[in-house]
Amino acid sequence: MPVSSAVKLCRMASMLMLFTSLVIVALPAGADNHSKAAEAHIEAMIGSAKALLTTDSDDLAARTEQVTDLLDTYFDFPGITRFSAGQYWRAASVTEKQEYELVIREVIIGTVVRNFDQLKGLEYSHVASTEKGSKLVLVTGRFSDAMGERPSVLVNWRVTTLPGKPVKVLDIEIENISMLVTQKQENVAIIRKNKGKFGALITAMRKKLAS
Amino acid sequence: MRYSPRPAGPIVTRATFTFLLAAIVWSAVSGCSSLPESQRSDLRDPFENGNRKVFAFNMGFDTYVIEPVADAYRNGVPEGGQRAIGNHVKWAGMPSTAINSALQGKAENAGLATLNFLVNGLTLGFVDLVEDDTPIIKEDFGQTLAAANVPEGSFLMVPFLGPKTTRSFAGTIGDMVMDPIGTLARGGNLQTVNQLRTPVAVVDFRARTFDAFNDVKYNAIDPYSRVRSVYYQTRAGMLEDRVRSTIGASESNDEFDDFFEDES
Repeated sequence: MPVSSAVKLCRMASMLMLFTSLVIVALPAGADNHSKAAEAHIEAMIGSAKALLTTDSDDLAARTEQVTDLLDTYFDFPGITRFSAGQYWRAASVTEKQEYELVIREVIIGTVVRNFDQLKGLEYSHVASTEKGSKLVLVTGRFSDAMGERPSVLVNWRVTTLPGKPVKVLDIEIENISMLVTQKQENVAIIRKNKGKFGALITAMRKKLAS
Repeated sequence: MRYSPRPAGPIVTRATFTFLLAAIVWSAVSGCSSLPESQRSDLRDPFENGNRKVFAFNMGFDTYVIEPVADAYRNGVPEGGQRAIGNHVKWAGMPSTAINSALQGKAENAGLATLNFLVNGLTLGFVDLVEDDTPIIKEDFGQTLAAANVPEGSFLMVPFLGPKTTRSFAGTIGDMVMDPIGTLARGGNLQTVNQLRTPVAVVDFRARTFDAFNDVKYNAIDPYSRVRSVYYQTRAGMLEDRVRSTIGASESNDEFDDFFEDES
């Protein structure tokens, strides 16, 4: 082999090694950033919820307003809306989509407001983070009762890390039960019971909210 | 344990047998009209019409009997007493866990459950004497059947027992038949304690989940389908051995993967 070819081959091999090492270094770093961002998001949300709990009163309107702010800041409402409608989202008309967006938001806020008290006296600790592809991070944490009266509860937060979009919470899974999957299965059941009519779900939700 | 001169009765008592028979007959009658797939709100639920009727009955029973008793229990029984009863209920399930863990080849879990049952048996399980943090994963005969690849079957709403699948319902009957406490406690005071076990366990469970249960019962848009969803997710967690102390996510992972694929 001529000397010049050997030098070229060496250079190419060096370049390849350099490129490979860069890729190896860059990949986990990117993944790690997603996990770190998701963890930081959850920590910030817990901090905000704690602050809210310390100033919480029996004033339902005030609590609803504060919880709404909290959810708007930390939760992915557009994603929750689409996911919770299941396969029927695509078939829904523009008007139905707009109406559903408003009503599911009201249902979720109502659920959180009703159960917000249950967070009182609980301490949150981070357990682990697991990458689920490039768009989702599963952040696992534990809620423990400071007084030791209630058993500790393991929680999985599904946090979206979509490119170009802010990090948001899509779902909470408590003791193996996903809140979003439960909501979706309930919604889909109502639509299927009404022969696939998306409007029937909106009507049922409005009726429940009014009761 | 006090020796009883009373003659040993059958392993499954007459009351239990009657109850089981009634539950099976009711389930069979209510579910005899299978719905075509297009009319089901969930493909796993072919007997939905009958199941919904049983669910309405169960909720009525809950409203008039279980909910008030559970409310009185959680407000009237001191925290220590509730913990002791919860411990006893957990302890009473250890033989089933030990047997089913062994049947599934989970030797460590079987050993831990046996040890827990023997040690805490000194206090009938009311006091937890085992200071080991290693979690004992609850195993029942329904899980054993699943491990043996028995198909899950259809969703069933069983009177008094609540949501089941055909397989888990068969498992419940299997667990009742195999229950060694039932055999050991025939006659005397232990039999009374044993007979009270199921109602006490029901009240204990209802009291521990009081707010969450009531939120579904009174605030869900369709409580039946919500209960069905929660049941399937809980069961999936049990079949995958996901417990409080372990990290993991539910079967719903697949649903999220599909969601992001559709989005892109």
